[in-house]
Amino acid sequence: MVSLEIKDLKKIYNNRTVLNSISFDVNDGEFLSILGPSGCGKTTLLKILIGIENCTSGKIIKNGHDITKEDPSKREMGIVFQNYALFPNMTVLQNVMYALNLKLKNRDKAKKESLKMIKMVNMMDHINKYPHQLSGGQQQRVAIARTLALKPDIILFDEPMSALDADNRLVLRKELKSIQKELKTTMIYITHDQEEAFSLSDRVMVMRDGNIEQLDVPNVIFNHPKNEYVKNFVTKHLIEKVSSIEKCTGIDL
Amino acid sequence: MKRRSKLSIIILIFLIVTVFYPLLMMLIRVQWSNFGNLISSASFKEAFNNSLFVASVATMVSVLIAYLLAFALNRTRIKHRAILKVFLTLPMLIPSISHGLGLINLFGANGIISKTLNFNIIGSAGIIVGSIIYSFPIAFLMLDDGFNYIDNNMYDSAKVLGLNKWQTFKKVTLVYMKKPLLSSLFAVFTMVFTDYGVPLAVGGKFLTLPVFLYKEVIGLLDFSKGTMIGLFLLIPAVISFLFDNFTKDYANGEFENKEYKIEKNGIRDILLTCFVYLILIFVIMLTGSFIYYAFINNYVLDRSFSLKHFDYVISNNIGEYIFNSLTISILVSILGTIIAYSAAYITGRIKGKSSKLVHILTIVSLAIPGIVLGLSYMIAFRNSFVYNTLFILVLVNIIHFIASPYLIAYNALQKVNPNYEAVAKTCNIGLFRVVKDVIIPCTRKTIREMIAYFFVNSMITISAVTFLFNTKTMPLSLLINNYEGDLMLGEAAIISLIILCLNVIVKGTIYSINRKECRRNEKNEINL
Repeated sequence: MVSLEIKDLKKIYNNRTVLNSISFDVNDGEFLSILGPSGCGKTTLLKILIGIENCTSGKIIKNGHDITKEDPSKREMGIVFQNYALFPNMTVLQNVMYALNLKLKNRDKAKKESLKMIKMVNMMDHINKYPHQLSGGQQQRVAIARTLALKPDIILFDEPMSALDADNRLVLRKELKSIQKELKTTMIYITHDQEEAFSLSDRVMVMRDGNIEQLDVPNVIFNHPKNEYVKNFVTKHLIEKVSSIEKCTGIDL
Repeated sequence: MKRRSKLSIIILIFLIVTVFYPLLMMLIRVQWSNFGNLISSASFKEAFNNSLFVASVATMVSVLIAYLLAFALNRTRIKHRAILKVFLTLPMLIPSISHGLGLINLFGANGIISKTLNFNIIGSAGIIVGSIIYSFPIAFLMLDDGFNYIDNNMYDSAKVLGLNKWQTFKKVTLVYMKKPLLSSLFAVFTMVFTDYGVPLAVGGKFLTLPVFLYKEVIGLLDFSKGTMIGLFLLIPAVISFLFDNFTKDYANGEFENKEYKIEKNGIRDILLTCFVYLILIFVIMLTGSFIYYAFINNYVLDRSFSLKHFDYVISNNIGEYIFNSLTISILVSILGTIIAYSAAYITGRIKGKSSKLVHILTIVSLAIPGIVLGLSYMIAFRNSFVYNTLFILVLVNIIHFIASPYLIAYNALQKVNPNYEAVAKTCNIGLFRVVKDVIIPCTRKTIREMIAYFFVNSMITISAVTFLFNTKTMPLSLLINNYEGDLMLGEAAIISLIILCLNVIVKGTIYSINRKECRRNEKNEINL
């Protein structure tokens, strides 16, 4: 089932075309990565999807309803930012509970629900800590729990792991994948990291200069890149890896 | 309509009515045909030259003192820095006219010191010294802050490159301190050039431009001439305003700073410590002179202990004036902080279409001397219902002082994570809710600083309110002017002391709240 339809979405900003009439669908429960270099329009796309920025023209249809002009609060979507955006004056539990409590108007229920989410992201040992007492990976876990707690239909991720170190990324990636399997929430994940995109996603969308270059399952993109650009972009990190292994080991791969 | 655009519109309308409209009205009322007469008149030329001379000398000395103090506190092994900083900025807590008064007490015709040495400071010398005393703390704070934004890694690089002390100073310190130095030069010049408190007290027959304006408006009710003189007072303020807003600042603080390693240098330390304490003694002597004058019978004839000045001020309804001043200052602190914070929120975080205009209208008050602002309010609002009420005094003070609190709020709000509102939006948390629950708690220290700034300045100001008060709304600070004019130095000293005490109480309270919070945070390891 299609969960989100994007039709001819266009964004012109200061006479510059940031999104050039792009169209694509996101299926229910799908994990879709949007991959592209900085400045390709992926973050703008995300901001338009969540509703904190307006599009110039085009339509966003969610579960059959046109939400193009809908207020962000009514879209039932959540967002996780690169810089976590945890409220610094609240503890882990308070951060996760805050919006839920306002929504449910029932403290006990909100707390119970929040603890469930905190448990899911493995942060139960830290519920009374403040954000600055946590590592980057831990903070991002809390941010994910906060978003999950409201049970949105779709969660958007804006390069959530680019501020983390390599080890942390790997662990969090696995956790995110298992959370998605368990909750079956539709997730749209923005990244410029090819490895991340390919390991997490059901489908990957490669973008360049406000256009979609290719949108397909990882396997197809990798084995049958549509053009030279996609080929270069998705294989770049592999080539780098291979050459560094060659350098270290002296073995010609 | 969205609530945030409503907020922007309210603030914008408020600023247009309170900043733009009065200035426009003032300019419309000027009879430009008399402009030639004014600038060719002997008294104008005299006043202009005098002001220029006094302001230039005072600025040079004031900034030099400020730099040496800032250097001593940041780059030598001087002890008790925190407490020294508090005492050195003490002059900021009393009206400029009180500094003049203090000088009269010490060095006037019958001053404590001058009488025995047989000289007096009345005239240009008095204005210069008085201006220095009330302006150096501000320059000191600017430069002291400037030292914090020097990338101290640069000193190591300089050492590696083999630069000598002078080269290092030129290539490192001066590069970073250029903007704070020039800013403080402009700021002090503008302050001294436009102040009439000090000249009114110790100027004698030495006529300066602000006093000239004051006399034309108060004495002769010539608003047109007053405005034209006011335009000349605007010149340095406008230049300084343009400078501050269009110069590049190297010291952007975008580096991991490390502590500056102070090298051992005994002679330097001793000399600068002596200098700091010399300034400190002078500052304390001036304040001390108020206490002395408040308790002596008569400063010329009979210097025995007496409480008659207290009896006099009390029997002259001092309570009413204290009430007026406190009401004004409290209202200015509360309303001013709300308005400045809202404006900063619009320009710093909402960044809508109107934010540029809000920004300009808010900081433009930096370029308008209080005396000119007061004059423009008098002309613009003379027939409105707020005139002759306490509220116009509140209003003029808010606008007079809004720029600094606005700028600190603007800086603080920009440092707060930019995504909180977006998160709130997607979670269906209202804008006002997230501001109340997250943004304000994150910036509460800044808010306290804003409140203190508005309060203290409303307590000490005489410039903006001087044309707008009446006998029922008169604030304390203007009472000093009256008593001083009647040569009642004991009474004037008492008023200065009351203002000082009230300001110290407010500053002290804010300081202890911050301290308490700091300690609590250390305990909980909360670090905002």
